[in-house]
Amino acid sequence: MAEPRFDDLIHPSTRLSIVALLAAADWIDFAFVRDRLGLSDSALSKQFATLEDAGYIVIERLLANGRRRVRVRLTDTGRHAFDGHVAALREIVASADLTAAP
Amino acid sequence: MTNSIGASDARSALTTVEYSRQQVIAEIDMPRWYWLGLAAGWLGMGVVTDLGPGWLALAAAPVFGASHAAVAHKVLSGRRRSPQLSVHAELAGTHVPALVIGFLVGLVGVTIAAGLLIDADGARHPATIASVIAAVAVALGGPELMAAVRRRALRNVSP
Repeated sequence: MAEPRFDDLIHPSTRLSIVALLAAADWIDFAFVRDRLGLSDSALSKQFATLEDAGYIVIERLLANGRRRVRVRLTDTGRHAFDGHVAALREIVASADLTAAP
Repeated sequence: MTNSIGASDARSALTTVEYSRQQVIAEIDMPRWYWLGLAAGWLGMGVVTDLGPGWLALAAAPVFGASHAAVAHKVLSGRRRSPQLSVHAELAGTHVPALVIGFLVGLVGVTIAAGLLIDADGARHPATIASVIAAVAVALGGPELMAAVRRRALRNVSP
């Protein structure tokens, strides 16, 4: 169980969706994330750049069957941050439920 | 880092996380060609056993096994249906290969038992008839087995 740690970088909805997708996989193609989230190439590239600068993801550019492919994977730092963020979200919900309980 | 969001925002964020996980879980599967190829191979073995020369029937089983082994290790985990991603092992579960192999071993038993029963009944091509039963079970049951794996993975994740 990760230590709860709210992460402002991950929390914005689009970035959270991206990191949650990556956390569920070993690696994902750029196109898969783009299509699932309905983002443009440039919008997704900006989000990836932010996450890459933070050391949360690694972007690999490959040449497979004559086609360029971009694979993205979460780093250990990114996975740790994501797990901590999810734990923090759960903690917030649990605290609220506890307060609301009669 | 700050922590200034409310419970409602946190719930919404957890829903987003769960939805993303579900999208990846939907990719847990084995390629359709694997099940169809397996069914075709099974059928071919039955036909060869009934109609082919003895040496061909003897050679068919190891050739079939070796061919299966050559391709199965790439797809048996259920994590690489799509070339666009590899599902995390923790999400897909490590039991998928054992489950599929168990399913296939069970079908070998069913094929042999069905072949012996059909032969005892006096049918002309017992191995072919038994292999048709097994081929249909592979082609229909394989994808259904993977659907059960996905349902189990969905039950196991919680935001």
